Amino acid sequence: MDKSTDDLGLVNKFKEGDISAFEELVLKYRDRIYNLCAYMLGNAHEAEDAAQDTFIKAYQGLSRFKPDAAFYTWLYRIAVNTCIDYRRRPFFESLFRRSDTGEEVVIEHPSASPTPEREYESKQIQQALQTALKKLSPKLRAVIVLKEFEGLSYEEMADTLDVSIGTVKSRISRARDELKILLKGFTEQK
Amino acid sequence: MKCSKIHKLTSAYIDGELNARDKEAFESHVKSCGACGTAVEETKSQRSLFAHAQQFKAPYGFSTKVMANIAPEKADGISWAPIFTRFAGAVVLLMIIFTGIISGGFLAGQLMPDKFSATARSLSLDIFDPAPPDSLGGVYLAMTEVGNEK
Repeated sequence: MDKSTDDLGLVNKFKEGDISAFEELVLKYRDRIYNLCAYMLGNAHEAEDAAQDTFIKAYQGLSRFKPDAAFYTWLYRIAVNTCIDYRRRPFFESLFRRSDTGEEVVIEHPSASPTPEREYESKQIQQALQTALKKLSPKLRAVIVLKEFEGLSYEEMADTLDVSIGTVKSRISRARDELKILLKGFTEQK
Repeated sequence: MKCSKIHKLTSAYIDGELNARDKEAFESHVKSCGACGTAVEETKSQRSLFAHAQQFKAPYGFSTKVMANIAPEKADGISWAPIFTRFAGAVVLLMIIFTGIISGGFLAGQLMPDKFSATARSLSLDIFDPAPPDSLGGVYLAMTEVGNEK
């Protein structure tokens, strides 16, 4: 896969002491990691903090990274675990966050809808999806986000989450069953 | 294939993760089972909702912030050098001052013992009598000492 070969080249450059190679990796993955964190946490500021933490942890651990796994699955794993840890953090820690205004992630550019009605509908769908995702457990949310937004295969998800493919299958099936109930009105009207 | 099996495999089918044999069996069951067909369509429409969902982009300045947060770690290794240099400079200066004081005292004692001791005696508080016997204070002290003895 081209993506992982390019990444490996950058990782090797970084290991040889080229910091700019890491910056290239940040530029390449910042949007995907931020998007993943935004849907995992449902909060813009927490998403930014978690995405920042993901890259800092990656920087600290990159010298120990072994190329038997793809870089992006390794990075996604850090991001998913960081987001799960954010949800587990005790209350007092939230007082010392870099940013703490608890703003919901907002729809800045709703899909290019031809009419105001379509735009309104797409906003409603977006909100419904975010609300439904929040109601899933973090493990189920992670498989949905990795599948629907990042387009990972079951094997890549198994690598990312460090579980078997069977576990991925069962989690994604459970997650979709729960989402069917949570998004009932939307899946019927579609 | 039974309906329960179809339910388990629906996600894998939609995600293109079934092998050819299971896929064929799945499709032939769904064609003949209305309930399973509806369930598959519902899952497909759920996927299409996600296909239209917004992809959030990292905020402006995100990568700059990441690199800035990483930079102090790099700086930590280097920043010790000037601190150490300044500390070593202060130690050398203190050593020079102490050496000067000690050697100065030693030389004064070795080269000018008499003059030094005479100066020391003249500066001693022992020669200072606050109430000489002839003064009013001396008389008063003598009287109080006699009173105390009685």
